[in-house]
Amino acid sequence: MTEQALAGVRVVELADELGSYCGRLLADLGAEVIKVEPPGGGRQRNSAPFLAGHEGNPDASLAFWVHNTSKQSVVLDLETEEGRTAARKLALSADILIEDNPVGFLATRGLGYQDLHAAKPSLVYTSITGFGQTGPHAGWAYSDIVGQAMGGIMTLAGEPVDPPNMIYGHQADISASIQAAQGALMALLHAEATGNGQLVDVSAQEAISMSQETAMQTWDFQKKNRVRAGAQGGIPIAIPGSGTLKTKDGYILLYIIAPAGGDLPDLIDWMREEGKAADLDDEPYASLISQLNMGWLTQLMGNPEDAMKYIPLLPHVNEVIATFFADKTSREAYEVGQERRLLIGIVSTPKDLAENTQLRARDWFVQFPEAPAGKPVEFPGPPYRLSESPAIISRPPRLGEHTAAVLGALT
Amino acid sequence: MAKRPLEGIRVADFSWFGAGPIAGNTLSTYGAEVVRVESETKVDALRRVHPFAMNEDGSFKGGYNVSGYFNNFNAGKLSLQLNLNTEKGQEIGYRLIEKCDIFLTNFTPRVIDKWNLHYHQIAKVNPRIIAAYAPMQGMEGPHRDYLGFGAVLTPVTGISEMSGFPNRPPFGVGTNYPDYVINPGHTVTAMMAALRYRNRTGKGQCIELPQVESVVNTLGTAVIEHLANGSNPTRTGNRNPNAAPHGAFRCADDPDSIGSLDRWVVIACRDDAEWQRAAAALGHPEGATDPKFVTLAARKQNEDELESLINSWTKDRKAEEACAALQAAGVPAGVVQNSQDLLDRDEHMRSRGYYQYVEHPEAGREAHDGPAFVLSETPGYIAAPAPLMGEHTMDVCERIIGLNMDEIADLLAEGVLL
Repeated sequence: MTEQALAGVRVVELADELGSYCGRLLADLGAEVIKVEPPGGGRQRNSAPFLAGHEGNPDASLAFWVHNTSKQSVVLDLETEEGRTAARKLALSADILIEDNPVGFLATRGLGYQDLHAAKPSLVYTSITGFGQTGPHAGWAYSDIVGQAMGGIMTLAGEPVDPPNMIYGHQADISASIQAAQGALMALLHAEATGNGQLVDVSAQEAISMSQETAMQTWDFQKKNRVRAGAQGGIPIAIPGSGTLKTKDGYILLYIIAPAGGDLPDLIDWMREEGKAADLDDEPYASLISQLNMGWLTQLMGNPEDAMKYIPLLPHVNEVIATFFADKTSREAYEVGQERRLLIGIVSTPKDLAENTQLRARDWFVQFPEAPAGKPVEFPGPPYRLSESPAIISRPPRLGEHTAAVLGALT
Repeated sequence: MAKRPLEGIRVADFSWFGAGPIAGNTLSTYGAEVVRVESETKVDALRRVHPFAMNEDGSFKGGYNVSGYFNNFNAGKLSLQLNLNTEKGQEIGYRLIEKCDIFLTNFTPRVIDKWNLHYHQIAKVNPRIIAAYAPMQGMEGPHRDYLGFGAVLTPVTGISEMSGFPNRPPFGVGTNYPDYVINPGHTVTAMMAALRYRNRTGKGQCIELPQVESVVNTLGTAVIEHLANGSNPTRTGNRNPNAAPHGAFRCADDPDSIGSLDRWVVIACRDDAEWQRAAAALGHPEGATDPKFVTLAARKQNEDELESLINSWTKDRKAEEACAALQAAGVPAGVVQNSQDLLDRDEHMRSRGYYQYVEHPEAGREAHDGPAFVLSETPGYIAAPAPLMGEHTMDVCERIIGLNMDEIADLLAEGVLL
């Protein structure tokens, strides 16, 4: 049997929504991850969506499943002396501790960093919170949308007339968990080399803030705020060969005018082959299309006379292209377009992802023989493939499934 | 200063744009020596795009070295300028890889083919190498050569379909979001695991990180809703099935927020107690006892009305003040901050010192994203600015690769080094 990269590493996880994905990454890489849960389970165990027909069952939350694969579950009540004693013993048996409780919560229960570090100096103590362990907002209440707002990404997303948009999928939680996984493993390497553990302090606000893209540097250098620009990205006119278009069954994104791959005339070739180029082969459209790319557009903006000549032609070109794609499925537009070296992306729905040609050909999804709630289910696969020590996903634990075995083995 | 945890690790960074270089940036921040290999025939486009540093007269600085976008992702690296389209250039590349612990690239498989940088090729010169490949679709499979970068990755992975308001088309999230944390963070996680494996077994290995797989892994809830339940969920704006209110609410405009006057406070009430405290904190405790809003189920049912009501409570208040009142009541709340807030006005970010400032020889003083995880005993830091294009070609060739001055001069004359 292949040895996994984190074989022999014990992780104790006192975490819910914010930190569970961190534990999951380590568990899939081979660490023994023991999730300590309160009686009844935490917020994520009790979160919708559930497996159909099992609504409200803490063993059937789909959100819990995908963030807690490959772990063991131990139920302990930290509000009792007995629970705290067992949790402390368990924590001191670990190489890495992951926690996402409000600052000070574990310290008042004898499970804080100072306490545990004194008892076990090699322990890597990973704290994941909304705002980190220090600073004036360290005590602030946190939920994912708070991290997305305070971290600067919502202001960049959405139509200017709408409220700023959050990104789906608890992305502040995910970002914090991914940052924490890197930090915990770096600290583990250091602890294995020197015997010295340490505190890994992750703030969700900081964790996601690099996703502001160029906004931070735009303020730093130019004292301008980047703001949300909606579907057209702040460009006043729709540019042929770019943007989100409707198809027969969904949407695609075109980015044909970008420097990579074929250009607009290559799209017109495809349309012509199917008898749908309409009058785009005639003047004045033909000569417009032959030169229309990002570089030409930039030049055009600096020349009002030419701009006045060409801009009134764009809506018709857009319309002919839109009509062409309105007749195709998203998948056909994506796959045939890409085979023709046109930069087209499918706007994948969850169903499209489940049926994605590439993911299926690569056998990415995993299925558990003995799945949660008794029914075999496919899960999304791992983020990476390691040739010698692969990430292996096994099923998430039922609430308290391993309590007796894990506590029984503690001496 | 304390020794950083990756000191002694050397990285051959053959990457470009966002996802690859950011992984190298994290390694550099934590003490690895990262050699960014730049090829004149494939210049990193980020070197040539905004935001550029400015001159005192308000004009933009020019050239390859003054983009804040590039500089932020390449701090502390060395730049080796090498023509990888030549056989000799590839040979120099191999000699560098021989001296490295980690190899990193996010070029497409076509380019890896052309430059002969596949794992089986580089493992021949360095069997202990940990080689990470992060192309969009993977190194194998029917879509392996599909075109794409962050702008296309966002729709293809499902982020666009699942984000934004349902009455709008799925136009994306305003940035190439997955490039910045998900892909590079997964890459470094896998590298650290592989380093541990090498410490224990002496073996290097190949890490393949298809960007699509990396991102879809984080959207697992939506995908498994289809796989397990057969449903096909879509975007629901700022709402959340387990909380109400859950969204962004309009506050008073802020004339000091440059070019970004509209201000919003986000509020998340995950149970009735949080909702009661939120209504009271905003001065309307009666809102919480209204039968239309008294339970989570009732609030979900009347969510449009709930949101209008809260907007009417917040619209004349300062966002920071509404947020502070909610936080004082223990309600998850935050201001929708812009970069001006994050760099200049957020006292918390400033007190933690997240942004680090360095002096760049051409761009001037510039802000960098600091490490997004803080190691208490072995902290990371930005030790040097991003390299000028080709700044360390001589140093890397002489000190790391072991070429002598005559050899270097010949390679320069032949156009292999630049």
